[in-house]
Amino acid sequence: MATFSPTTEDVQIYEFCVLYPFPFGQKEENELLKGVEELFAEAGGKVLMKDPWGRRGLAYKIGGFTEGNYIVYYVELDPSKLKEIDRQMRILKGVLRHMMVKPPKNYQYLSYAEQFIKWQEDSKKDVERKELEREDKLKKQVVDKAKRVKTPAPKEPEVAKPMSGEAITKELEKIISDDLNI
Amino acid sequence: MPPSYRNQKQAQRSDPRLKKCPFCFKDTAYMDYKDYGTLKPLIDYFGNIRNRYYTGVCLKHQKMLKNAVERARFMGMLAYRK
Repeated sequence: MATFSPTTEDVQIYEFCVLYPFPFGQKEENELLKGVEELFAEAGGKVLMKDPWGRRGLAYKIGGFTEGNYIVYYVELDPSKLKEIDRQMRILKGVLRHMMVKPPKNYQYLSYAEQFIKWQEDSKKDVERKELEREDKLKKQVVDKAKRVKTPAPKEPEVAKPMSGEAITKELEKIISDDLNI
Repeated sequence: MPPSYRNQKQAQRSDPRLKKCPFCFKDTAYMDYKDYGTLKPLIDYFGNIRNRYYTGVCLKHQKMLKNAVERARFMGMLAYRK
């Protein structure tokens, strides 16, 4: 894992992905890679990282080939030289496809193998996180259910006790006297 | 009255509108066209990009995804049409 930053203001870091066919002679392959690296050298570029992916199946036939080799270069280049490199790459014999991309700032430059390991770890973490979330949800459900069961039934409104005979007569007298006053 | 079969099915299925963007969760600033693992679940059997209504990806990240998928298609890593 590495992060690169351009050494001067005039240069930028670019990612070049080159695809060449799989049943390809060793000699031709060496020539092709040499040719690509020469292009960078001619443009005054500096290869920071080289990441050969090796043999891979293609999603669709390109130039009659169903398998290809990928190679990714990270190069520090003057942006004005890009057009010329692109033109030369189109002419270069054996190149099926090529692409130039400018990675964003703080991009982590990983090789194919490292990227795969990182993806595996990330997906593992994702699974663990989902499992934890599911457990939390279940626990919450159980607690909620327990709360629902424990809650006591609502109290009945209190009914006043019946008064004794004397108390009733006293109250009645009070009320009657009040009425007379009005 | 017992709930109908259709209502039961609707209750089981989560609402797609409630899904959250998995890339916002990770603060993704750039989607790599070489990263097959992240692109694959967002593409259907025929090689089309899944609708964000179903995946929950936000508009910002859906645009990044489109860019990455188109690059991967050009380089022969993903199919245009299966």
